[in-house]
Amino acid sequence: MLAPRQPEPSHRPLIAVAAATVATATGLGWLLQRAWNPKGDVNHRAAQALGAGAAILCISVALDSAIEHYRGQFKDRAMFVGPTMALLGLGAATYIAFRPEHANDRLPKIALFTVGATGLIGLAFHSYNILKRPGELSALNLFYGAPAGAPAALTLAGLYGVIAGEMLSGRDNVSTRLPKHTAALIAFSLMGTVAEAGFLHFRGAFQDPAMYAPVTIPPLAALSIGAAALTPRAAAFAEPLLKATAVLGIAGPIFHAYGIHRNMGGWHNWTQMILQGPPLPAPPAFLGIAAAGLGILPALQEAGE
Amino acid sequence: MLEVAEPRAVAGRAPDVFREGKWVPMRTYDDNEEVDFAIVGTGAGGGTLACKLAEAGFSVIAFDAGPFWRPLEDFVSDERDQGGLYWTDERITGGADPIELGSNNSGRGVGGSTVHYTMIALRWRPEWFQCRSKLGYGRDWPISFDELEPFYEEAEEALKISGPISYPWSRRRKRYPYRAHPVNAAGLVLARGCEAIGVQWSPLPLATLSAPRGMAHPCVYRGFCAYGCSTNAKQSVLVTFIPRALNAGAEVRDLAMVGKIEMGKDGKATGLTYHRGGAWRRQKAKHVVVAGYAIETPRLLLNSKCDQFRDGLANENGLVGTHLMTHSGPGVWGIMDEEVRCYKAPPCMAVTEHWNYDDSDKKDFRGGYAFMSQGPLPVGWAEAQAINRGMWGMKLRQEMTRYNHVAGLRIVGETEPQRHNRVEVADEKDQYGLPIPRVTFSYSENDRRLIEHSKGSMRAVLEGAGAKELWTDHDTSHLMGGCRMGDDPDDSVVDRDGRSWSIPNLWVCDGSLFPTSGGVNPSLTIQALACRMGDRISGMAKRGEL
Repeated sequence: MLAPRQPEPSHRPLIAVAAATVATATGLGWLLQRAWNPKGDVNHRAAQALGAGAAILCISVALDSAIEHYRGQFKDRAMFVGPTMALLGLGAATYIAFRPEHANDRLPKIALFTVGATGLIGLAFHSYNILKRPGELSALNLFYGAPAGAPAALTLAGLYGVIAGEMLSGRDNVSTRLPKHTAALIAFSLMGTVAEAGFLHFRGAFQDPAMYAPVTIPPLAALSIGAAALTPRAAAFAEPLLKATAVLGIAGPIFHAYGIHRNMGGWHNWTQMILQGPPLPAPPAFLGIAAAGLGILPALQEAGE
Repeated sequence: MLEVAEPRAVAGRAPDVFREGKWVPMRTYDDNEEVDFAIVGTGAGGGTLACKLAEAGFSVIAFDAGPFWRPLEDFVSDERDQGGLYWTDERITGGADPIELGSNNSGRGVGGSTVHYTMIALRWRPEWFQCRSKLGYGRDWPISFDELEPFYEEAEEALKISGPISYPWSRRRKRYPYRAHPVNAAGLVLARGCEAIGVQWSPLPLATLSAPRGMAHPCVYRGFCAYGCSTNAKQSVLVTFIPRALNAGAEVRDLAMVGKIEMGKDGKATGLTYHRGGAWRRQKAKHVVVAGYAIETPRLLLNSKCDQFRDGLANENGLVGTHLMTHSGPGVWGIMDEEVRCYKAPPCMAVTEHWNYDDSDKKDFRGGYAFMSQGPLPVGWAEAQAINRGMWGMKLRQEMTRYNHVAGLRIVGETEPQRHNRVEVADEKDQYGLPIPRVTFSYSENDRRLIEHSKGSMRAVLEGAGAKELWTDHDTSHLMGGCRMGDDPDDSVVDRDGRSWSIPNLWVCDGSLFPTSGGVNPSLTIQALACRMGDRISGMAKRGEL
């Protein structure tokens, strides 16, 4: 028997936050769109989108790891590495996004390769952190230990950047196999992010129905782009679903801002509650992956033809 | 000071526990209006039942001797001041092992002791309901685990218990409504120690939120739980069942001390006499439910004696007040090399129920115990050092410098129901002119063996975790029994539904129903029993059996 739902606090603060976020996003979008100048063939455009996706992932990781490692008081000096490498990745990926013709240059490639490798090392560190706790690989340690998925996002950003370079390498497989492999990687990235969001929303007992959104839309997007890797015709389904996933990546922080409002003291107590409440910078990871996915679709379709 | 002089729930409104300074509408009844149910007590038993009965459409008034708190504005982070949550009126306590009354085992105020409980929400071991026939000790309950399980679920859902995904003991169960909290360092000491000696441990299922719920915020791990939660994360009866009860049309009368149950010539209760706003008043009711917990419930039944019932109500067989049980609570403490800061987060976050479920002959006692990690606050801790270890002056100050390194464990230990452990009424009277209770308690030989055994287990766990300089203290927690339920009118006070054998419109709904004490905290079982009683009473009303 379910207990009756209790009335919730006023939604008014949410309206203000949402209005501000939408205004900021529109403003930035308008500026970006003016600067965005897709030129060249599908490979160029794919490289550009992969760079943009990697940059967004890096912003998400940089902010998230900075906040969370600050919460952990940077107790281990290695905790500075994550945010620092995310910033390096952000620089290199942004460069690629705006100057895709340089995507295959040695410097950004080395930088993004290093960023990706750091993500793997971070994954190992975080796994060790989880396993050394009493109870080892238990749900409790996965809930509250270092998050396994977060450093993996750095690896994805690195991979996207490296692939962006490969897109412009002029090698044979660029027009045939690489777009398909990349689509599969995007599908995998989405599912990984879904797993993390789903697991953490489960930790929050899905107390708000909106918490089901990231475990509903992105898996469909992952399925469709995964299918597109096999039969490029599926790309027609992938596009709207990836766009919906991108919207989730923007809407996520608004919902999380509301989640912070529902913690003790809400935004009046923001110094504590951005740490204890839902993570503000996490959801844009969906935006980053979706952007990369949307960018690879034309190349995928061309490869199919 | 935490003190409220005047009743707040008057004139058609009651305090809104979720909004500072705000009110919620409350239905009010006239004293002469005969309500369906007058409930004495608003804690785990009475508050829960008031909600269930009001939601089933009955007219209900629930009385509490204490105030209607507004946790958000009344409660502060001050151990001394928050002592006002306890019922500290004069009581007489005796026996070979007198129970300290008036602190953790008392509650005065709407919500009862759930306002200051440590929120541990554990179910009874299924076999304990038949512990005589299945485990060979104690008494069988008149109801089985299977009968109570749906109501455990209902109570857990109503309190949004935050619990682990799989609880290592008992039967397979439905998932807890909310996820477990992160275990604090004190809990991890228990965890490491248990892993070192090879017994299972678990994060505790707790009645404090790990995610938002309506107007209530998730727990911020303030650690003052045992002194009242000022954030409403604690899912006490005050912020769960009481708002639901008010919403369903129940009236709550705070600062209303019930002195006597009124009896009619037909041998049925007609209502009750209560003291509120400086005067004695009478409330008419078709049914009276006594839910004052194991001291006040027998006291009220005994104090309500009249010409027809010279030994008190429901006391033909002389069992009212007898077979009182507590939970023995020896604790073992030690010093860790690393900082623990055990006062952070809810005081108890990890548990082992190993010795509740271990039926091997390695145990030299009957019954069981669970132990939990502990988080004493500084004033209480300093007091304990002075009282238990005789520390004073510079020695006490030096000991307190190690407070951040302290880790400890304490059991909830089963005690046997013994007839001579009981509540009676004394000749002395309290400020209302009511005879005060006299409580007598002595441990049995078996209880003592259990206590000694538990000290050994706790030492092993603490040493396994690396604690040094171990020492032991003793405490008790919870009260149970006094109006036990049963299937035999000669051998129990009330039947399986809490209904008195001799007075058909007199009911009991609290921890005094327990025939045995079990080795876990009783609140969830009391609430499950109250939920069950609510459903049973509604069913009886439909069948015309009331």
